[in-house]
Amino acid sequence: MPEAMRCYVRIIDRMNRAIGRFAMYLLFALIGVLIWSSVSKTFFTPTLWTLETAQFVMVAYYVLGGPYSIQMGSNVRMDFFYGDWSPRRRAIVDVITIWFLLFYLGVLLWGAISSTAYSFGYFGTEPFKFFGELIWAFVTGGPDAAGELMGYLERSPSAWRPYVWPVKVILCFGVTLMILQCVAEFFRDIARIRGEDI
Amino acid sequence: MSQDLIAIVMFSGMLGLLLTGQRVFGAIGFVAVVAALCLWGDRGGFDLGFAASIKLMKWYPLLTLPMFIFMGYVLSESKIADDLYKMFHVWMGGLSGGLAVGTIGLMVLISAMNGLSVAGMAIGATIALPELLKRGYDKRMVTGVIQAGSSLGILVPPSVVLVLYAMIARQPVGQLWLAGIIPGLLMAAAFILYIVIRCRLNPELGPILPKADRDIPMAEKLRLLRAGLLPLVIFFVMMVPFVRGWTSLVESSAIGAVAAFVAAVLKGRMTREVFENSVRNTLGVSCMFMWIILAALAFGAVFDGLGAVSAIEELFTEKLGLSPWMILILMQLSFIVMGTFLDDTAMLVIVAPLYVPLVGHLGFDLVWYGVLYTITCQIAYMTPPFGYNLFLMRAMAPPEIGLRDIYTSIIPFVAVMTVVLAIIMIFPELALWLPDLVYDN
Amino acid sequence: APSIGRAQEPIKWRFQTYAGAALGEQVTKPIVDYINTAAQGELEIELYYADQIVPTGELFQALQRGTIDAVHSDDDSMASPTPMRVFGGYFPFATKHILDVPVLFEQYGLADIWRSEYEKVGVTWLSAAGQDPCNFNTKKEITSLADLDGLKLYTFPTAGRFLSQFGVVPVNIPYEDAEVAVQTGELDGMAWSGITEDYTVGWANVTDYFLTNNISGAWIGSIFVNQQRWADLPEHLKTLVMSAIKAADTYRNQWYWGGEAKLRATGDKLQLRSVPPEEWAEVENAAKAFWKEIAQESEIHAKVVSIFEEYNGVINQAGPPYNF
Ligand code: NA
Ligand code: NA
Repeated sequence: MPEAMRCYVRIIDRMNRAIGRFAMYLLFALIGVLIWSSVSKTFFTPTLWTLETAQFVMVAYYVLGGPYSIQMGSNVRMDFFYGDWSPRRRAIVDVITIWFLLFYLGVLLWGAISSTAYSFGYFGTEPFKFFGELIWAFVTGGPDAAGELMGYLERSPSAWRPYVWPVKVILCFGVTLMILQCVAEFFRDIARIRGEDI
Repeated sequence: MSQDLIAIVMFSGMLGLLLTGQRVFGAIGFVAVVAALCLWGDRGGFDLGFAASIKLMKWYPLLTLPMFIFMGYVLSESKIADDLYKMFHVWMGGLSGGLAVGTIGLMVLISAMNGLSVAGMAIGATIALPELLKRGYDKRMVTGVIQAGSSLGILVPPSVVLVLYAMIARQPVGQLWLAGIIPGLLMAAAFILYIVIRCRLNPELGPILPKADRDIPMAEKLRLLRAGLLPLVIFFVMMVPFVRGWTSLVESSAIGAVAAFVAAVLKGRMTREVFENSVRNTLGVSCMFMWIILAALAFGAVFDGLGAVSAIEELFTEKLGLSPWMILILMQLSFIVMGTFLDDTAMLVIVAPLYVPLVGHLGFDLVWYGVLYTITCQIAYMTPPFGYNLFLMRAMAPPEIGLRDIYTSIIPFVAVMTVVLAIIMIFPELALWLPDLVYDN
Repeated sequence: APSIGRAQEPIKWRFQTYAGAALGEQVTKPIVDYINTAAQGELEIELYYADQIVPTGELFQALQRGTIDAVHSDDDSMASPTPMRVFGGYFPFATKHILDVPVLFEQYGLADIWRSEYEKVGVTWLSAAGQDPCNFNTKKEITSLADLDGLKLYTFPTAGRFLSQFGVVPVNIPYEDAEVAVQTGELDGMAWSGITEDYTVGWANVTDYFLTNNISGAWIGSIFVNQQRWADLPEHLKTLVMSAIKAADTYRNQWYWGGEAKLRATGDKLQLRSVPPEEWAEVENAAKAFWKEIAQESEIHAKVVSIFEEYNGVINQAGPPYNF
């Protein structure tokens, strides 16, 4: 097993574990928002922002926590045959079928990136080019130059009207982490087939 | 390719991928995005998968998911249910099969405090199972009792499965939960009846507790009864503000999570380890649900785009000329068969969008159907090869209980559940009376 | 040249409406049925209801990309990135009656503004029409402005922004979930429609009171098409689509106009309540301030607001039935 692959798996595992452990505690942020919502409703006036905020926190919770849940093996599989296979056999099948999962995540990421570009006011069909230009403008001309490239910033269709790009950026980031984790699982399975363990 | 054919290819492709043992959400999601790309590639097929994540975000009742899962873990990890078990033990021990009957009682109370079957399984397998085996109870019977009893967690409110159903069928969660109460109790009663009859016929299955064990002063017995208060308090703290309209569904679920947490702290059971396990497992299970639903929503959108629902309806009503009741029975049977292979989320998000509109069109009550659906899920939880309770039992059972024991243990209970399912089908009032009363329909 | 021998492949459109199935049956499906029948297989439209393929809030992006080919919605609900967004749906007190909408578009120049603003963002705007007024249906009784304080209402974003100054808490959830949300306590009711819609979609079953005062006399909703898809359509089919839209407008006009009167008079699910006109005038005055605030936002905003002002000046001079 090349050292680079081992190193990759180690780094990704550690990073996603740290991010996942952070996401894990978002549960209490969620509880806090909802409890505040009940308290303010009962004793003061109901708040505009709690339900939507809770929804945003929930997105961060399951998207950023996703890779860690893969590490923990929480994602169910149908083990009609799988359950009876040896670890090596499972690794052989997984090495192939994980590409289906990766493909799905890839398409998801593409959609997330183009939707994020939209939330920054880009209506074209080449979101990657847009982000390239945006980053370039930021590097060369600072925030003002980047701001000029951005159009109408998408807001949530509610009376509170928060900007939606932060939640879309979280989705992009989380799906990327999922992809990195799945590639790590792929390497791990290759090692397992060779009789090594990482 | 005709649209019907595409739908069939999608469905069988998904089943094939599921059989490889890849993570369920990956299999469903892959088929969904590939179908979307093939059908509408240059016209936004790429966006369909992601659009589901926005849909998922807007489904606010899903916010209750981590709450009810957290409650369940706090209850089982912190062992605040131990006293409850002792209470049933002492009070029911004098009866032949009494401990098994008490275990069902325990499961009903635990069901009233959490939304899945995991907590019941954990408590049953770690507290009740060793004790029952030590007392000479038949291992197959007690294995079945715990699996069946814990499955009540999804029928007795609060219920995560009914929340998910409510989202798909767009029915009020409050009414669905109330509709689950009487069938849940009826099901518990049917389990008890079965246990009592079996043990009367064959007393070795559930020996009476020795006199010495039962010789407990009345004062002590009464003191133990207090343990039963805790679940009732948690249940009412959560349900009363909700049913009275003071707090919303998701807010009540947060109150329930806090109540369970506070109870564990007050009892001195919230150790670092318990805290860590509850919080971590909540993340794991919530992520599992959310990612499956995310993928399945994309799948559902493609199916919608294909018009698969109307095709199936046409097949049933026009081509086959079936009556509504025949269709309903057929659907339940196919659901049960599918439930043995699939897990309930996969069933719900893939099959329910096809069946639920059909049930509505045929003129049946969708709240009532939610109860039927949930009972089918309970059966699915226990039937091999795929079932949550089955997996959990396999993971938690002591070595003397083999796979064969676990598989055979469920047979009589699945039979009892099927009978209850039939009773609720014949007498819809059993489910609908309570919601009608409370919501004054 | 007409192709000889082999029949032409039909053009297929996916059309999503803001309305759920029960309402969509009346407000959108007639357009689609008309086209599908009259096009004789040259153009086939598949209709999808609220949130079926994409969530309503994402409709606009889907339309630009071509995930959806055509959309029936108001600018506000579909989160349009144009300045038109605040005006579509229910712009507070901009209209009195259902016919005000086509008049504003065809006679006072709104159509040109709408068409050119949407062209800039890659979408073809076809037509706008009026619908029902925006009344309140609630679980609690409203008889004074004070009763609005603390009410959680399902409403349009712009209407919500406007109403929040009276203590209303606007809640934004998927359309199809609103009925359930009243029962789960997420909502106390809706400020969304006239009484016809309340009965049609089932909201009358979960709420008890209907407030006869409205915050807008007619919904402004439009039909949009993906720019490329529209350009690709042969002329005769374009004409067909436009006439289908107009035919459906006529049907919708009488369906709402008659429905509002009949259900107020004879419906037995919602009890009518009113806030005295003197008190409601406070809301109308607040709307005037709100218009000024909106007019500040851009030149286009100012232009549209000035058209509303001009038209309101005309109908106030004309007197009843125009200004009531
Ligand atoms: Na439960
Ligand atoms: Na099963």
